Amino acid sequence: MQFNSDGPGGSPVDLENQDIIAAMKEMQGYIDITPADFMEIYRVAYNHAVDRIAKSMHAKDVMTRQVVCVNPETSLLETAERMAAANISGIPVVNEQNEVLGVISEKDFLQKMGAEPSGSFMGVISQCLKNKGCVALPIRGKTAADIMSAPAVTVARERPLSEISRLFAEKQINRVPVVDPDGKIAGIVSRADMVRSFFAKIC
Amino acid sequence: MQYFKKMKGVTSSPPRVSFSEMLWSWGGSFLGIAAVALIHYKILPESDLVMIIGSFGASAVLIYGAIRSPLAQPRNLMGGHMISAVIGVAAFKLLGASMPLAAAVAVATAIFAMHATKTLHPPGGATALIAVIGSAKIHALGFWYVLVPAGLGAVVMLAVALLINNLAPRRRYPEFWF
Repeated sequence: MQFNSDGPGGSPVDLENQDIIAAMKEMQGYIDITPADFMEIYRVAYNHAVDRIAKSMHAKDVMTRQVVCVNPETSLLETAERMAAANISGIPVVNEQNEVLGVISEKDFLQKMGAEPSGSFMGVISQCLKNKGCVALPIRGKTAADIMSAPAVTVARERPLSEISRLFAEKQINRVPVVDPDGKIAGIVSRADMVRSFFAKIC
Repeated sequence: MQYFKKMKGVTSSPPRVSFSEMLWSWGGSFLGIAAVALIHYKILPESDLVMIIGSFGASAVLIYGAIRSPLAQPRNLMGGHMISAVIGVAAFKLLGASMPLAAAVAVATAIFAMHATKTLHPPGGATALIAVIGSAKIHALGFWYVLVPAGLGAVVMLAVALLINNLAPRRRYPEFWF
């Protein structure tokens, strides 16, 4: 309701009062609206547009199709190496039929390394300093199946991005495998994929 | 405190229109009012009819001076005057014994009805009021007041608005019909 150009929230483009006045002058004619009303309409309409785009775009539109995966019996050493090589922070665990069994994130590693319960990197650091030793010892020799979060949260190709973003917040996850009706992995949507898609569409 | 803060206002006035815009507004309203006034004073004096009522002056502000406004569109111009006229005449007939009550009910109900029908047109409030406080000649019209002057006057003003507003290169009218 309030017109406050430096207020919080903000519009995507930082429209100022003077821009709106300038536009009104260029349009000539008497425009039966105040700059504040225009600003409010603009902001509300923008949010509706974002909402509409989020609803009109689906998992299949933004997902990464070349998914780096591991099997349940893959060693954690190899799992970590694959994640490092692909520069990803989470990896789906699939069986021979490519059905998603679980997901391993950095957080799962950290938790199993003794940083319970928050699984933060700083938790691991503090463990490390306390023990004066390698904090990865507790998980040496273990396999992907031992630390994965299961069952995996998955979505169908047609799931709208608006719901996926809510899912991220509710489940406190940063990626979600996309599966076909038969349970086989089709791709993965990460927060980065979402951000990229929004920028591509809006900016 | 929020209550008093609101009274400070939150924004600035829209900019002044260009000089050519002022001239077009002048020309349009001159011709529009001239048309209804000519009919009123030159054609109708022998009859009991009236053609011009005060609220057309207010309509002229909108349909020649603020032509983009939703309030100035044909739906609002026609609907606002005619619906308000019905309500004004009815208010006088039903509540005329108490003129203050009839006047207040006429205007308030006209605004309500214009909102409900998406025909809000400020001069409609005057049209409803004039049906109550107007001359004996107005009262004698009864519900004819809805068609002449309210309906017919608005049609004449609308015709002038269509002809004149669209002559100007930077103007267009209407934004929508219904």
